[in-house]
Amino acid sequence: MRGLQLPLNQTQRIRLQRAFEKLQSLSSKANSDASVTVADTIPVNYEDAFLKGHGTTDLNGELVATVCGVVERINKLVYVRGLRARYKPEVGDIVVGRVIEVAQKRWRLEINFNQDAVLMLSSMNMPDGIQRRRTALDELNMRGIFEENDVVCAEVRNFQHDGSLQLQARSQKYGKLEKGQLLIIDPYLVKKSKLHFHHLEQFGIDLILGRNGFVWVGEHVETRDKLCRIANAVRVLSTLGFSMDADLIVETVELSSSLKIDIHDMLGSEFHVLVAEQEAERRSLMGKRRR
Amino acid sequence: MSSPLCFFSSLTLSFNHRHSMFCTKTTAFPNPPPINNQNKEEKEETKSKLQTKMASLKKKKRNPKPSCFIRRSNLSKGPASRAVRFHLLSSARRQSPLLIVDQSSSYMVGLSAGEKHFIQGGIAQDLRLDGRKRLTHRPIYVETGIIPQAHGLARVRLGATDVIASVKAELGKPSTLQPDKGKIAIYVDCSPTAAPMFEGRGGEELSTELSVALERCLLGGKSGAGAGIDPTSLVVVEGKVCWDLYIDGLVISSDGNLLDALAAAIKAALSNTGIPKVDVAAETTGDEQPEVNISDEEFLQFDTTGIPVIVTLTKVGKHYIVDATSEEESQMSSAVSISVNRKGHVCGLTKRGGAGLDPSIILDMISVAKHVSEQLINKLDSEIAAAEASEE
Repeated sequence: MRGLQLPLNQTQRIRLQRAFEKLQSLSSKANSDASVTVADTIPVNYEDAFLKGHGTTDLNGELVATVCGVVERINKLVYVRGLRARYKPEVGDIVVGRVIEVAQKRWRLEINFNQDAVLMLSSMNMPDGIQRRRTALDELNMRGIFEENDVVCAEVRNFQHDGSLQLQARSQKYGKLEKGQLLIIDPYLVKKSKLHFHHLEQFGIDLILGRNGFVWVGEHVETRDKLCRIANAVRVLSTLGFSMDADLIVETVELSSSLKIDIHDMLGSEFHVLVAEQEAERRSLMGKRRR
Repeated sequence: MSSPLCFFSSLTLSFNHRHSMFCTKTTAFPNPPPINNQNKEEKEETKSKLQTKMASLKKKKRNPKPSCFIRRSNLSKGPASRAVRFHLLSSARRQSPLLIVDQSSSYMVGLSAGEKHFIQGGIAQDLRLDGRKRLTHRPIYVETGIIPQAHGLARVRLGATDVIASVKAELGKPSTLQPDKGKIAIYVDCSPTAAPMFEGRGGEELSTELSVALERCLLGGKSGAGAGIDPTSLVVVEGKVCWDLYIDGLVISSDGNLLDALAAAIKAALSNTGIPKVDVAAETTGDEQPEVNISDEEFLQFDTTGIPVIVTLTKVGKHYIVDATSEEESQMSSAVSISVNRKGHVCGLTKRGGAGLDPSIILDMISVAKHVSEQLINKLDSEIAAAEASEE
């Protein structure tokens, strides 16, 4: 259990511990011995030729891990994938970023990565919707599209030669995000899925789970309290370390409204314990259904 | 820039926190410059000079540079170019607990126009970003007694704001002006890990502002009257030996509302403090320093029921909120921090921010703060008791 900064009393602590133990027992993978910590030797057949990848080093003739993570093997490559690392972008990822700088023919966005991502003016739809060459006038009017500190949703297009990202926002669903709040959680909690844009009909709220750990909760109609509930649900799940999923978030919100928990009390210790217990229940049911 | 409405206050200065300086010189405590010793005519003169200066200031549009009426003692550090401190001289009231400081708002990440609008709208509708009402605090989490080297220590977490307060006591000599009182010094340090703007010496300005505000609220006036901590309880041998209390605050992580968190941490640290019992060797004559035997076993606890808490009210638009996060603080027009004790008495007041406030608003804020402080004191006391219980 991570050092949860929650004021838990004795019974809550016991309940939370039991819920986490249940979750751990349910999620044991077949190769649980693949997880390593720093300075653990990696079990490798030294007769075969293999390539030492990221997170490994040769120490006294043995292959030793330098980060805490899971050992991955792809053909001859052996590397250690860190669990709580910075965001590792892939082409086609949907990210949410904040504009830091308006530069020549491009915007620089901050996306919780080692470098700022670049969104070229040519990768952005013009407001009038016409496909045309970007003129000097368009360049001067860049601030009319995105200004500094604006929150933007875009897709990763490719990597530059120096390792920085290039984004594109050519579809209608990408662009500036207004009327809502941006939450920052750990990037490893958002797994790649088919859908990252969720429009929650029953609440009238947009939920965008950016793969870089920036989650945007925005409203369509004036539904501020539902928005705060969803934002608090995301915060609770991120504190407990559960992967983000739109269904999970909706279930958490429904749990809170069914138990008539005040919006602010969702960030209290009792609700955290309840969510952990509910998740343990849900996963055990899923496991039973599979068998 | 509209000048803030000012209440005349006696001077307060930042000073270097060095133990040697504190112990030997009696001038280490905020000492008003000689101007207070002037006779009545000169006081009237300075008062009228002040008023004309204030009038001329209002006409100026740009930031007023420190002019002749702004006194800084030789002990204070040079202010950063953006902050302008007004140290105003009191004519009659030397011990008034008011302090006006003007500092530009400093926050880390920018907010888009849509987000700002959302925050302001939420506050107007009494539903903030995390679902709190305007006058609701974040959950407070208190831990005490983590480090054995300090005589008292507490760590307080208020959401993402994380502060530590430690109390250390050393034997020293009381000042000749007040031989029956011990000495207390409060110093706050903003660690560079708290926020990117605190890197290097960036956090120094905020540190001095917080230290001064806390001293105002907790230490009372120059003669020690009205202090939250009774300095007479710190004396060992009158005139010869007394305890010097050094209260240090450290800001580990900053997410708004640092002053409230620090005051709560100091209160918790003091309730956790155990001053070692001292046996004084009898038969000491004249100016000799008596021999003292510091026991390792027995400790005296402090009585912390009289210590006030600080409630900061941040004004955003037309409404005030309690316990603002750093995003909400970036939208503030002004903030008033009021220190209230258990009896409901106001022990100190600090106003920050560039916008002016009507006096009726300040009176309203004081009554709101009194109302909020009742719950806060009870909650804090129960958290401290729980922390001490779990520590054993």
